[in-house]
Amino acid sequence: MNELSYELAPQHATIAVLHDDSQLAHEVLAQLSVLSQLELVTSLLNDDIASIASTSASLVLLIQADATPLPTAVVALLQEQPQAIGVSQQLVTLDYLSAYVQEQVLWPWSKHLLFNRIEQLSQLYQTHQKIDGLRQALAWHKARVDREHQLVEHIFKNALSRNYLNYQYVNTYLTPVSKFNGDLCLISPGPLGNIYMLMADFTGHGLAPATGALPLSQAFFAMADRGVSVAEMVTEFNYRMSRLLPNDMFCAAILLELSANGERVNYWNGGMPAALLINEKGDVLRHLKPTHVALGVLDDEEFDSRVTSFRAPKGSSIAMFTDGVIELLGHQHKFLGADALEILLSTYPKPEDFPQIVKELERFRGETPLHDDLSLAILCCRPTELGQTKTEYEHYGLPFRLESVLQAEQLKQLDPVALILSAISQLPHLRHHRTTIYLFLAEAFNNALEHGLLGLDSKLKQDADGFLAYYQQRYERLQQLREGEIRISLEFEPTHKEVTIRVADTGEGTPQHDGCDDFSENAYGRGLELLRQMTTDLTWDNETRTVSFKYRL
Amino acid sequence: MPLHRQFSIDGKELIISIKGKFDFSLVQEFRQAYSDVGDQQPTVFIDLRETEYLDSSALGMLLNMRKALGQSVKSIHIINCRPEVRSIFDISRFDKLFVIE
Repeated sequence: MNELSYELAPQHATIAVLHDDSQLAHEVLAQLSVLSQLELVTSLLNDDIASIASTSASLVLLIQADATPLPTAVVALLQEQPQAIGVSQQLVTLDYLSAYVQEQVLWPWSKHLLFNRIEQLSQLYQTHQKIDGLRQALAWHKARVDREHQLVEHIFKNALSRNYLNYQYVNTYLTPVSKFNGDLCLISPGPLGNIYMLMADFTGHGLAPATGALPLSQAFFAMADRGVSVAEMVTEFNYRMSRLLPNDMFCAAILLELSANGERVNYWNGGMPAALLINEKGDVLRHLKPTHVALGVLDDEEFDSRVTSFRAPKGSSIAMFTDGVIELLGHQHKFLGADALEILLSTYPKPEDFPQIVKELERFRGETPLHDDLSLAILCCRPTELGQTKTEYEHYGLPFRLESVLQAEQLKQLDPVALILSAISQLPHLRHHRTTIYLFLAEAFNNALEHGLLGLDSKLKQDADGFLAYYQQRYERLQQLREGEIRISLEFEPTHKEVTIRVADTGEGTPQHDGCDDFSENAYGRGLELLRQMTTDLTWDNETRTVSFKYRL
Repeated sequence: MPLHRQFSIDGKELIISIKGKFDFSLVQEFRQAYSDVGDQQPTVFIDLRETEYLDSSALGMLLNMRKALGQSVKSIHIINCRPEVRSIFDISRFDKLFVIE
C-alpha cells in the first residue's frame, strides 16, 4: 500500500474566462497568460458555454466591453458560481454586471486588484487541495486501522475460542471500554477434572494490552491442558510477560485452581484486588489478597511463585474482579469502592442472584461512560462435574512383538524401560495404559537386574537408610557388572487387547517368591505383589530366571 | 526439574510435585525435599499431576517419608493423581496410610 495519497502533484487553480471577443478581452487575456500558476479556460459569451460549465473552475472572469445583455446560459452559470468577477473599462458595464457577479474590476485602473485576487485564490485553492489530500489520507488510514482491528479481533476471537466462559458454575460480567479488552478472564478445565481461572488486568486498555493478552492466553490454555500447577503456570507467565512487555507495562493477575471435588483452592495473586471467598450466607470468609507483584515486573530469579491454598466450604463461592469494578464511576460522580462492592457481593451470595449484582452495578453507573474495563467473575466452589479427559482411539490396532536383549554394557548406560515405553507410547492403544505398562516392565526388569544379575537383597530396604544403601549398592554393582543379559519381550494382541510381557535374565536365579499376603508398611516387596494383583497368568520359569504375565487393556 | 518443592506463603503447607518419572532415581532428592519441614507441623502435599510413571520404589519412598515425618507433620496428602496412578495406590492400599485426593 502506498501511503502517499495526500501528496498529490500540485495542481493549478482553474479560471474560466467568459469574454465578448473585444479588444479589452484580448488585452486582459494576454496579461493573464503571464501568470504561470493559472490554468485558463476561455469561451465566448454566447449560449454555447458547455465546455466552461463542465470545468470545475475556481473563479469565473466575465470580461465585457459594454453592457450587452448576457445570454441566458451565462446568467444560469453565474447563479451557480459563488466566485465571479466582472471586468470592464466602463463603469456602466460594471454596474450592469453587479447583478450577476460579486466583485467588479475597472480595467486597467484596478487591475492590481484582479491580480491580487487571483493570487489569493490560487493559494486558497492549493490549501484546499492539501486539506482534501489530508482528509483522504486520514480516511485511508482509518480504513486501514479498522481493517487491522478487524484482523486482530479475528485472531483474538480464535485465540479465545476455547475460553470456557460458559462453564456452568461460573458467572461473569465482562465489559470492555473499547473493542479490545485490557482485562482478561480465562477459564479452562484441567485433565484431572479440575478447573483453572485466570483474571488479568494489563496496564492501559485498547489494542496494546490486548496484544499482550494473546501469548498469555495461549500459555494458559496449553498449560491447563497439561494440568500444570499454579506455581509453574505463573512462573511461565511471568517469564513470557517480562520478556514481552515494555518496561512501563505490566499485567496484574490472579490465577486460581479449583480441584475436581470443588474443595481445594490454590491461588496466586499478583497485584489484583483481593478476591473474596463468600459462603452461602453472605459472610466474607477470606480475602485472597495480592501477595505478589504483577506479572512482567520481576525477572526470573526475583519472581516468587508461591501459592496460597485453602479449603472452600460447601456452597461458598469466590468473587474475582478487576479494579475497574472498584473504581466504577457512578452517575453521582462517586466511585463504587471496595467496601460497597463487598457489601453488594455478600448481599447476593447465591449463584442465581448474579443478575441482581449486575443490575445493581449498572444502576450505580447510570449513564456515566466507563473509564476502565470491568471484569467480575464468581466461581462456585462445588464439584466441577468435568470428569477426567478421555481420549477416543480406534478399536483395531497393530499386532506386534517387541524384543530387546541387553548386555552388561547396555544395562549400565541405558534406561531400557523408559526407552521401550517411549516407543510403544506412539501406539494409541498402549499410550493410555503407559503408566501401568511402565509399572509392570519396571518391576519385572528391576527384579531381573537387581536380584538376578546384581544379587541384591531386598531386606536391606527395611528402613530409610537401608533403602538408600540398597540403591547405592545397585549403582556400584551395576558399574562392576561384566557379564549377563536381560531379555525383555512385549507382545500385543489387538483382538483381545492383551499385552504379554516376558523378562528373562541370565543370573543366578532369584529365590522363589511366595505370595506376600501381608500388605505391611514395609518399603519392599510391593513390586511383585502389584504384579500378582494386576496381571494374569503370572509364571516363573527357568528357575525363576524368566517371568511372564499378561495384562488386558 | 523432575522434583519441585515449595512451601505455601503461610508456611502451613509443603507441596512436593514430581514430574515425569517417580522412582529410585529421585531417592536422594525426595528425601531432601521433606528433610526440613520446620516446626509449624505443616500438611504435606505430594502433587502427582505430572507424574506419568512410577514403580514400587516410589511406593517405598512414600512409605519411608511417612515413617520419617511421623508427628512432625499434620498429614500427608497425595493429590492430583491420574487414574492409572490412582489405581496403583488403591491396589497397594495406600488410602489407609495417606489422604489420597
